[in-house]
Amino acid sequence: MGVRNTVSMTAFVSSDRQRSTPVLRRLAVASEPYLYSAPAVILIVAVMLAPLALGFSYAFRDVKLLNPLSGGFIGLDHFRALIDDKTFARALKNTFFWAGASVALQFTFGLILALLLNRPFWGRGIVQALVFLPWAVPSFLSGLNWAWMFNPVIGPIPHWLFALGLTDAPDNILSDPHNAMWGPIIANVWWGIPFFAITLLAALQAIPRDLYEAASIDGANAFQRFKSITLPFLAPTIAITILLRTVWIANFADLIVVMTNGGPADRTQIVASYIFTQAFRRLDFGYASAIAVVLLVLLMAYALLIVLLRQSLLKKA
Amino acid sequence: MASIDITDIRKNYGAIPVLHGVDLTIRDGEFVVLVGPSGCGKSTLLRMIAGLEDITAGEIQIGGIRVNDLQPKDRDIAMVFQSYALYPHMTVAGNMSYSLRLRRAAKQVIAGKVASAAAILGLDTLLERRPRALSGGQRQRVAMGRAIVRAPKAFLFDEPLSNLDARLRETMRGEIKRLHQSLGATSIYVTHDQIEAMTLADRIVAMNAGLVQQVGSPLDLYDRPANLFVAGFIGSPAMNMLGGTYRAADAAFVAHDNSVVPLGRAYGCADGAAVTLGIRPEHVVVGGAGGHVTAPVDLVEPTGFGTILHLRALGTDLKAFTLERKTAQVGETTSVALPPDRLHLFDAAGSRLS
Ligand SMILES: Nc1ncnc2c1ncn2[C@@H]1O[C@H](COP(=O)(O)OP(=O)(O)O)[C@@H](O)[C@H]1O
Ligand SMILES: [Mg+2]
Repeated sequence: MGVRNTVSMTAFVSSDRQRSTPVLRRLAVASEPYLYSAPAVILIVAVMLAPLALGFSYAFRDVKLLNPLSGGFIGLDHFRALIDDKTFARALKNTFFWAGASVALQFTFGLILALLLNRPFWGRGIVQALVFLPWAVPSFLSGLNWAWMFNPVIGPIPHWLFALGLTDAPDNILSDPHNAMWGPIIANVWWGIPFFAITLLAALQAIPRDLYEAASIDGANAFQRFKSITLPFLAPTIAITILLRTVWIANFADLIVVMTNGGPADRTQIVASYIFTQAFRRLDFGYASAIAVVLLVLLMAYALLIVLLRQSLLKKA
Repeated sequence: MASIDITDIRKNYGAIPVLHGVDLTIRDGEFVVLVGPSGCGKSTLLRMIAGLEDITAGEIQIGGIRVNDLQPKDRDIAMVFQSYALYPHMTVAGNMSYSLRLRRAAKQVIAGKVASAAAILGLDTLLERRPRALSGGQRQRVAMGRAIVRAPKAFLFDEPLSNLDARLRETMRGEIKRLHQSLGATSIYVTHDQIEAMTLADRIVAMNAGLVQQVGSPLDLYDRPANLFVAGFIGSPAMNMLGGTYRAADAAFVAHDNSVVPLGRAYGCADGAAVTLGIRPEHVVVGGAGGHVTAPVDLVEPTGFGTILHLRALGTDLKAFTLERKTAQVGETTSVALPPDRLHLFDAAGSRLS
């Protein structure tokens, strides 16, 4: 407030002495809008960007909690180490698989569910409420729950898989190095379907009914109506939800930490859980930050791609 | 093109009956308008013909073929919606050609049909636009183009002009009529606007509360309304309705204020029966000799085209329409005549008496 008043008064008073202080006056006028927005900008920078910058700086410093002499600047050393880090390479690969499979399955089932819930049937209100229940379950609880269900001692799933002939013995899938990743993925899919169902259902309900009627009169069958009406209407929503979910799931280590803790033999280690391991097991905050920076850059590149895709979809609409 | 036969069609939504048995035959090439107040079941009937609503009971034939159980796409009809229902992600050309593309018509055939429909409707320069870059009137034209391109057995229109402003509605009304004259396609047109019905129709089907009230040419309905509903619904300003009784002795109508209107001839109804006398405002003769009653002028409404006078006469507010401008001052008393050959008499149940 004080700044603002001074500036406008200066501007006012100096108007009859324009010739003598034109530079000062012009400066005052030009900076006025910035001064108005300064408090908000400062707040945003302090709250959002400062922690990010601090975390970023750790990536270039040697920060080990157990070593009181650490903290010095070491340049790109962490990143050089990353290139040769086999576990990191595997974690990166696992992250692609984890996020890709989770999002693809969540989306597919979410879309099917949304399409089913979009048509009227008796008791739809109750079914809708039930369907969205998993979303309300805390991720740790759902991780524990699924871990138990995969455990042959107390859970039924291994016995079912065995009975169906899908496995040779009722073993715990979570301790099978080749298939362990499917455990957290299945838990994640169960947990994340409601998100897609809810957003896609909202988008579906915004599509005017008479378009479908016009298309059915024009001779379109159910699949053709889906292709030429439903899909184009959903495309922008699909793009943005897939973007959000991929970024979020790539960062989402809760289920993995609870169910497999990255094992067996790092087979389910994703980048996010690897960061967690580096930071809180080995207490190497510098290295953990370097991994985080790499993940951030990858996800930003991905987000940019999807946003561009969405923009071109919207422009076509 | 084809005729459409509707036999005792009924529709219930759950337990609520909406159509109570409609019979209607639409001849090949005829332009039939379904008119009636909002909620009377016009759209429901049209949508049943299109195949968008299940038929509770009765039969619909298009071109002699029973279509009750056919999908909309197998009925070979085209429909123009009030909301236009254009596909927002397709261009104008894409919208118009969609049905042909679904049928895998040859590219040149599609292009030819779209081009000729676009020429008819003046859409030539807009073919590559998307619907949201069009005005209401242009969207309306695209919706019609989508129907024309298919050359269907029948066109169905559901209040296609209701979303346009009054001026554009008038223009489009003329275009639809011209289009029908050149294509000669069987058309069913739903509207709540009696002017649209009067100007467009070969035949009007007046509906109320799920029942057909009268079927006939526009002038039939205007000159010989079958009941009070049609008499009141068709025509603007609306027909004057006077309550009173029939006096058989001298074939006269006795209004509630005991003033007497000679009917000119006997009607088939008992002496002293309660009746309603109808006369259109433009048929009320104001001033001049030979008036039945004298009446004070209550209100004067100049429309530019003519003048509507409200008179306190025959125990009611009697409207008179005249093309003259001069007419009366408020408070002035004038003589009023109701020419016998312009009178309509309805019984207590609302049916026309002959
Ligand atoms: N899907 C529906 N469910 C229940 N009632 C309906 C439905 N559609 C229309 N109605 C009712 O049927 C009646 C006729 O509707 P409609 O044919 O749309 O009237 P109009 O087109 O003549 O204005 C209305 O009273 C309306 O409330
Ligand atoms: Mg309607």
